[in-house]
Amino acid sequence: MPHPTLYSHKKAGMLTYIIRRTLYMLPLLLIVSLISFTLIKIMPGDYLTAARMNPQITEETLQAQIQRFGLDRSFIVQYGLWLKNIILHGDFGTSFDTKMPVYKALFLGNKLQWTIFIALSTLLLTYLLAIPIGIYSATHQYKPSDHIITFFGFLGLSIPNFFFALVLLWILVVLFRVGDYGLSVSGVMDLHYYGKAFSWGKFTNILWHLWPVWVVLGTSGMAGLIRLMRANLLDTLSLPYVKTARAKGLTERVVVYKHAVRNAVNPLVTILGLTLPNLVSGSVVVAIVLNLPTVGRSYFQALRRQDEPVIMAGLLFFSLFLLIGNVIADFLLAWVDPRIRYD
Amino acid sequence: MKNALILAGLLVFTSLAVFGQGYGTQPADALILPVGVAGTVYEDMELGTRGGTITIANLEDPKSWNDMTAHETSTTFFTSRQHRGLVNLDHISGALVPDLAKSWDLSDDSLVITFHLREGLMWSDGEAITADDVVFTYNDLLLNEDVDSNARDGQLLPDDTYPVCAKVDDYTVTFTMSVIFRPALNSLSFAIMPEHALAQYVHKLNPEVPVGTFNEAWTLDTPLTDLVGNGPYIITDYQPNVSVTMSRNPYYYGYDPAGTQLPYYDTMISAIVSNQDVMMLKFRNGETDVFGLRPEDIAILLPESASKGFQVLITDQPGYGTTWFLINQDIGLAEGTDAEKREIYRNVKFREAMAHTIDKETMIQNVLNGLGGAQWSPVSVPSPFYAGRDFYGGPITENNAVIFEYDPAKAAALLDEIGVVDADGDGFRDLPSGDPLTIEINANDNTTRVASCLILTDDWNAIGINATFQVVDFNTLVDRLFGSSGDLIYLGLTGGDEPNGGSNVYRSCGSLHAYRYSACDEPDDIDTRIDELLALGAGTFDIDEAFEYYVEYQQLLSAQLGYVYTVVQSFQYAYYDHVGNAFKASPTSTPGGANGLLTELCFDKRL
Repeated sequence: MPHPTLYSHKKAGMLTYIIRRTLYMLPLLLIVSLISFTLIKIMPGDYLTAARMNPQITEETLQAQIQRFGLDRSFIVQYGLWLKNIILHGDFGTSFDTKMPVYKALFLGNKLQWTIFIALSTLLLTYLLAIPIGIYSATHQYKPSDHIITFFGFLGLSIPNFFFALVLLWILVVLFRVGDYGLSVSGVMDLHYYGKAFSWGKFTNILWHLWPVWVVLGTSGMAGLIRLMRANLLDTLSLPYVKTARAKGLTERVVVYKHAVRNAVNPLVTILGLTLPNLVSGSVVVAIVLNLPTVGRSYFQALRRQDEPVIMAGLLFFSLFLLIGNVIADFLLAWVDPRIRYD
Repeated sequence: MKNALILAGLLVFTSLAVFGQGYGTQPADALILPVGVAGTVYEDMELGTRGGTITIANLEDPKSWNDMTAHETSTTFFTSRQHRGLVNLDHISGALVPDLAKSWDLSDDSLVITFHLREGLMWSDGEAITADDVVFTYNDLLLNEDVDSNARDGQLLPDDTYPVCAKVDDYTVTFTMSVIFRPALNSLSFAIMPEHALAQYVHKLNPEVPVGTFNEAWTLDTPLTDLVGNGPYIITDYQPNVSVTMSRNPYYYGYDPAGTQLPYYDTMISAIVSNQDVMMLKFRNGETDVFGLRPEDIAILLPESASKGFQVLITDQPGYGTTWFLINQDIGLAEGTDAEKREIYRNVKFREAMAHTIDKETMIQNVLNGLGGAQWSPVSVPSPFYAGRDFYGGPITENNAVIFEYDPAKAAALLDEIGVVDADGDGFRDLPSGDPLTIEINANDNTTRVASCLILTDDWNAIGINATFQVVDFNTLVDRLFGSSGDLIYLGLTGGDEPNGGSNVYRSCGSLHAYRYSACDEPDDIDTRIDELLALGAGTFDIDEAFEYYVEYQQLLSAQLGYVYTVVQSFQYAYYDHVGNAFKASPTSTPGGANGLLTELCFDKRL
């Protein structure tokens, strides 16, 4: 039983730590936004570059559009206005492309929910599989099964995600001819299920559409996790207290699962906080190939069309996610490891 | 009293029910599409049955539901099905035909076009369509400077004024021009918008809303029940990044000769599929009914077409648009450098030598898998004004064509003639002064264009020109184009039927006259004649006279080699057997293409 005063000390420390980290986020976000804005402006062309290729458009119309989007103002003025609107009015801007507020341009429909659901479910599945496999790999070190697991893990890591996704779809459509059974591919569910009430049919349909996503996104992350789990467990199993436990007569099972794994899993828990933002922002290509309605896709589209307000807002969103992920990681680490203090 | 109230309620209820069901009987002024009628281009088409759903795939989401402010085809793809204009392109022939207007007259001086609207037509919400809607669309939206309209520039007359739109009566509207302008009729195909639904967003008509409110009207988050249109379909569902669903408009005025109200398909679902390979997989999986394929897809689709029950339509009909490279005749002009190179680029014999080295046949075989045609003219091949025809709309004979044959020996001879020879013995030709000549051609990351450029540089190297190829980001390429930097740029332009649509490209002062912007201040004889011909061609309603002007126009431009045309892909399409009338797909219209006019006439054969 931990000492009562020590414990409440730690709780208070954790709270101030979280508040401090949250406050640090603000200047960080500001710097990120300035760098991003600079990069966008350095890029050749702007939102209206493609419009110039339209033989119909006159110079007057083009100028009117330039003014409308504020693209004729200086860099400092544009950035300053953007910042002012956020701080004073909470207005993150209007998309050049869709004329909607940027939060709608990014999150219209259920995109945010799907993004988080896909990221979390992939994360969960990856961990649920990686940890047992890593444990197995460690406890069967250098056996053929260990080597096979490692091989497939790295295979999943090496294959480019978008290629893997395409190949998977191809296998389903051409080899297994799933169309003959009325099964569709890509997307998150059959088109006719959208807007309908939740049902068993809808649930299984979503599972059918999402499993390739989990396979593609999960396999690249799993290899690292498996190896990490394996390495940590092997390290832990070589520690003196494990020897003591074995000497005391505890079964191998108890030694491994009750004592060693619980300590070995610590680093993986903290990585969880960092993997989440990676999943959200890093899966854009897969989202494009597999047709997932995620925030990454709107962001990518905005990038291609140089829709500056959406790009800036999207960057803030992803940066925020990353920073939150970091805080979660630190929090989790402190939670599972009683040795950590917040000073 | 109570009985009267009940009766009144019943009457209202019944009238609402009748309203919502569309026209009780076929309107007298309905637009009849001559499906199956002998002697028309529709004669081999079948009459269809109403019902079913057609599923297509699109690469991108729409950006809004506002047809007037839409600047990209991903949006107008949907809005053009929801809204129609006074005139339209014929579904099959592509000729200009009456749509919302049942007919029009041209005044004796050819300055006034009078449109007679169809009477008794309604918007999708049951309100009447009248001349007020036309005048509202033209005066309060299109010409309104506060509205970010894409169609305004197309209305501009050669003297920088706009036609004047006036209401004569509820079903008659006039457009008065200050100069004779034949293409005005084509430009008047813009969509007519509902005044009763949209006037509230226009500051000019409703001062309570700020200026520019209309530009943010009918955005993607608008409740879809707010949308009102007069086209065959109305947008009824939108799942971002997933699909757009359109349902039939109960008040569409198109009918087939058997009295069946169009469109045949009840619903049209467009799946948003951002990757073309996945699009093809979905077509093979039976999820979509039609597919606009690429040349490389034919080898995969043809073998399984029989077993899966679809057709692959392969034609040698080229599509609209031009593909070219330009030789920058203003290189170094602004910076005051490269004077000798500029002089060589401006020498037509140099450009002829470059043109004689284009191996179009190899490009067609290797890059387009044999499915394409050579281009020589600025006007798209499908256009009735294409000078490969002998008369307007006639069959293609290429009697008028100005062609530079693939002849490397001739090219080498021309280069020798102008002094571009290998002075220093390094194997590469140099400028007449002896300074080295290096040429870089740029294209963006488009597989067809990259492959074509590689073939070009190979052939140029073979005759001793030190040519290299560099891929450049699209935006950078466009910047170079407008900035007159770079040697050669390989790009393309979209095209249409109307040659005057290219006036901004080929007029000496045109904003896209990118091969030599200095022509605006220093036009040569050809530039001057081109300007004259554009004005003459647009200034007469006599189609045959216009055709003659445009033949000379195309021949001169081809000879001038400002834009040097290469090859264009021919039209291919794939569709499942159960899509009736899909066999009529052409570059003009397809069931699922950007110009999806044919969608209304396709039907589900399984019904």
